[in-house]
Amino acid sequence: MGSLFRSEEMALCQLFLQSEAAYACVSELGELGLVQFRDLNPDVNAFQRKFVNEVRRCDEMERKLRYLEKEIKKDGIPMLDTGESPEAPQPREMIDLEATFEKLENELREVNQNAEALKRNFLELTELKHILRKTQVFFDESVPTVYKSSGTHSSNKYRRYLQMADNQNEDEQAQLLGEEAVRASQPGQNLKLGFVAGVILRERLPAFERMLWRACRGNVFLRQAMIETPLEDPTNGDQVHKSVFIIFFQGDQLKTRVKKICEGFRATLYPCPEAPADRREMAMGVMTRIEDLNTVLGQTQDHRHRVLVAAAKNLKNWFVKVRKIKAIYHTLNLFNLDVTQKCLIAECWVPLLDIETIQLALRRGTERSGSSVPPILNRMQTFENPPTYNRTNKFTKAFQALIDAYGVASYREMNPAPYTIITFPFLFAVMFGDLGHGAIMALFGLWMIRKEKGLAAQKTDNEIWNIFFGGRYIIFLMGAFSMYTGLIYNDIFSKSLNIFGSHWHMSYNKSTVADNKYLQLNPNGDYEGAPYPFGMDPIWQVAGANKIIFHNAYKMKISIIFGVIHMIFGVVMSWHNHTYFRNRISMLYEFIPQLIFLLLLFFYMVLLMFIKWIKFAATNAKPYSEACAPSILITFIDMVLFNTPKEPVKDCQTYMFFGQHFIQVLFVLVAVGCIPVMLLAKPLLIMQARKQANIQPIAGATSDAETGAITNGGVGGGQHEEEEELSEIFIHQSIHTIEYVLGSVSHTASYLRLWALSLAHAQLAEVLWTMVLSIGLKQEGWFGGIILTCVFAFWAILTVGILVLMEGLSAFLHTLRLHWVEFQSKFYKGQGYAFQPFSFDAIIENGAAAAEAE
Amino acid sequence: MNSSGFMFNVDNGYLEGLCRGFKCGILKQADYLNLVQCETLEDLKLHLQGTDYGSFLANEPSPLSVSVIDDKLREKLVIEFQHMRNHAVEPLSNFLDFITYGYMIDNIILLITGTLHQRPISELIPKCHPLGSFEQMEAIHVASTPAELYNAVLVDTPLAPFFVDCISEQDLDEMNIEIIRNTLYKAYLEAFHNFCKNMGGATADVMCEILAVSGCSSSCIGISLNFPLSRLQFEADRRAIIITINSFGTELSKDDRAKLYPNCGKMYPDGLAALARADDYEQVKTVAEYYAEYAALFDGSGNNPGDKTLEDKFFEHEVKLNVYAFLQQFHFGVFYAYLKLKEQECRNIVWIAECVAQKHRAKIDNYIPIF
Repeated sequence: MGSLFRSEEMALCQLFLQSEAAYACVSELGELGLVQFRDLNPDVNAFQRKFVNEVRRCDEMERKLRYLEKEIKKDGIPMLDTGESPEAPQPREMIDLEATFEKLENELREVNQNAEALKRNFLELTELKHILRKTQVFFDESVPTVYKSSGTHSSNKYRRYLQMADNQNEDEQAQLLGEEAVRASQPGQNLKLGFVAGVILRERLPAFERMLWRACRGNVFLRQAMIETPLEDPTNGDQVHKSVFIIFFQGDQLKTRVKKICEGFRATLYPCPEAPADRREMAMGVMTRIEDLNTVLGQTQDHRHRVLVAAAKNLKNWFVKVRKIKAIYHTLNLFNLDVTQKCLIAECWVPLLDIETIQLALRRGTERSGSSVPPILNRMQTFENPPTYNRTNKFTKAFQALIDAYGVASYREMNPAPYTIITFPFLFAVMFGDLGHGAIMALFGLWMIRKEKGLAAQKTDNEIWNIFFGGRYIIFLMGAFSMYTGLIYNDIFSKSLNIFGSHWHMSYNKSTVADNKYLQLNPNGDYEGAPYPFGMDPIWQVAGANKIIFHNAYKMKISIIFGVIHMIFGVVMSWHNHTYFRNRISMLYEFIPQLIFLLLLFFYMVLLMFIKWIKFAATNAKPYSEACAPSILITFIDMVLFNTPKEPVKDCQTYMFFGQHFIQVLFVLVAVGCIPVMLLAKPLLIMQARKQANIQPIAGATSDAETGAITNGGVGGGQHEEEEELSEIFIHQSIHTIEYVLGSVSHTASYLRLWALSLAHAQLAEVLWTMVLSIGLKQEGWFGGIILTCVFAFWAILTVGILVLMEGLSAFLHTLRLHWVEFQSKFYKGQGYAFQPFSFDAIIENGAAAAEAE
Repeated sequence: MNSSGFMFNVDNGYLEGLCRGFKCGILKQADYLNLVQCETLEDLKLHLQGTDYGSFLANEPSPLSVSVIDDKLREKLVIEFQHMRNHAVEPLSNFLDFITYGYMIDNIILLITGTLHQRPISELIPKCHPLGSFEQMEAIHVASTPAELYNAVLVDTPLAPFFVDCISEQDLDEMNIEIIRNTLYKAYLEAFHNFCKNMGGATADVMCEILAVSGCSSSCIGISLNFPLSRLQFEADRRAIIITINSFGTELSKDDRAKLYPNCGKMYPDGLAALARADDYEQVKTVAEYYAEYAALFDGSGNNPGDKTLEDKFFEHEVKLNVYAFLQQFHFGVFYAYLKLKEQECRNIVWIAECVAQKHRAKIDNYIPIF
């Protein structure tokens, strides 16, 4: 059977690899990505496994690469990403790689260290430059401002400033101040004002100031000025804002205290000469040193840049290589060591069809490693449930993902994905039917498909975009199908197309039309007799009064018709499952009654709809004229409840065809009769079989192993089922039956959502047209053009935002529900687990994604 | 008042959930069993990678040292705590701040002791606990007397009210520092105790007592406050006992000692009075015997090899109390408990790492398992 309809047949294999060849073989298998290894030593700690040292070395290499990457990113150097995946290097090449990384890392660290030292030096010099510049201002301005503000009572203070400002006359000043100082302060103390200048982080300044004031009891004077340009912190390269300060104080005790506080607040102090001339000279020296440093810094940066550019070329490549090595050793850690230590034993799940390819890959691996002993791939018998593996391509992948999101199929169960490819866009389109909106969606999907390669290459983290892009084929198909249903509904942005010309003609004259608000067209005279060739007749677009009624009748009926067919199809799928798993009891006593139940009740209702459509028409004579057409819903309710139908209107018949009453009673009785069959037959038969089986062993004394072999022999590698409690079987069966019987009713009704959403969509589109765009269209003159432009923009935004995106999402979710609940509940168990092959591609992709996320 | 149950989550639900989530990442017994088997620190790193610690050591260059592990463990804890602090609103933010004050006290004492021994401040700063760092911390060595310390440095910090009692001390020597530390702690614990008590308003205090007596502690405000209180009571009693034991053989007078006991524990006032009179270890033990939970701690401890020390016993009891904190909902105790449990875990890992690094496997099992 084709692999599309069921998951692949899997086999549990034992793999014997010679120790020397194991690495190369696993590497080949990783490239192939078709083998899922099992952990053979789950009890062993991560750090007690055999190849833990190699894994650790890889971790170390990865760390170095991450360091390199960080540095490269910091410098904004583009990294070459060719997207190619180099082969996993030989174990011996690992040492070369390690050496290369080691060398690079050391070189980079050295360069960084040098750069940091230089930068620190540079920072100090810049700070000093700023200090010299700012303190100049302090010294200059302090005289007049203080003089003005402090007034006479602080003449002492003024003189201090004077003294500071002009230190050349220091001795003189000191002498001048001598007498006063002796009076002001304690005798014998030297009145020499000292000062320190430094630089501090701007945000720490207020606390610093407060602390100074407290610790020195207000006996210091602080001036500060901001350094406008942010400075670079040499350790982490951040831009920081700093301020220059200068503190004046008196005496040595205060000096040590101030210095301690400065140290505590990490303020850097710089020597600042007191004489203006010295300062000027120093500033000159600083400027020349800064210039020298700048050239040296430039050279260091150039060197660093060269190193990084060289590394950036290979970085992605190296990452891939290291990740591959790491993955291989991780896999080797899952293996068992043979007693002789000569070979490694692995257990793995492989798809049966690919055993040949795997053998080839193993042979290649052996050749590459130069080993003489070929690896042995041995199929094993197992009772375990194999993993589910559905081969997909880029087109089916998204559909399979929709199914797997509900639950991974049990092993070899019917896979609903291939049918979903058609039914999903179709049911979506029934709800979303509008030629215009469908075209927008289809074009978007088509654009993504056309630009597929380019878009896939630029990997983004944008989840919403990734979802859209992942579902590009679904979107395209949904759009295309919506265009088709839009044509059938004859809806394009809520308007109709009159392609073939309406098949209705008006017999009223002009004045009648102008005078009456509503006019009725008579199907007997105004209708051509043959329907509009494709879809709805555009005449309905102008039928203001009964357009919705007409559409509702039509859409409700087709919803039920599609729904019932969809469900019958689901039940038929369960037949495929039963035959495949040789489950005769389920087939006879579950599938057949289920099908009969569905056919006799709901499919019969569908048939009634067709009979009504065919038999009754306005052009027909009385018993089959439009006035006599019975309501299907009422008929169906009467049928199920055995009600006597109401007396028909004059000249009409109660029933649509001969023998309808008898058939209906018969159908209902048979359908109801199916329920006990579904409910009881299977558990009773199992009970009976068990009783017989219990008697048998006394005669034959069969061992457990044999019975296991017999039951499993039928289904290829089938599961080893635990014997269920009989009461549990009864309960399960009754739950299933109730679910099915009630489900048939509720699910049929559930398909009415097709109609409901379709109605909502059409109405919203119409509201948007009449309330928004038509206002713009009604304006006249050149002014109207401007209005129309604005209104159109508004309308277009709402159309795309609400009608296409939001309505589309809602219709999508309802379609998903119809598939998961109404369709798959008929046959799909979804209790398997997915096949996760050991594949380099997946590992590298995950690794890259994880790195991005960090 | 009694609406604390359903109003709690408005402000604190997210953080409590977060905290409980973090708590689930605390290493289990099985993890410890694996860690103990490690041969090298690299093994330890590999195993920790499989736990909630994830790749916290991934970017460390290869020869690992215990101090690097210690730093990283602490860094992770601090980041988590600070995250919670940043998202907290009143009164939880106050509660969390209160927790950090304890670390501030430790830091201050560390710095003062360091400067007393003429260590440069730059060497001491990295040793301070990051949770207890504050802006003026590094300038602490300006002060040479407690009064100066208060006036210059601490007056701006939240610790100022606790320090008022210490200003009278004359100068900073070993002994006085120890006294300052304990006085600070006493004031801090009492303040914390009061804060917890008052959190639900004035009546909460009464409610607590009533509920405790009538035994139905499982309703209203009683829940949210019971826990932090009992934890703090334990903390207070532990300090009292440890202070007493450590004071034997020092020149600390009994009166001075009695002043250091926090007055908010279960032993207050009778037990503390008895402790104040105690002269040796045996007497302390006798006092403790009046209190069921402490008596058990003294029973199993001893200084003989193979016995657990009293300190370890206290730690064990603390862990137990902290684990109990998670049994109740709608109270702030979980944050405190989480921090303390995590600290214990860090101590455990560092202990194991030390044992591994020094190839000293005999005592490797002396960690205190949490779950």
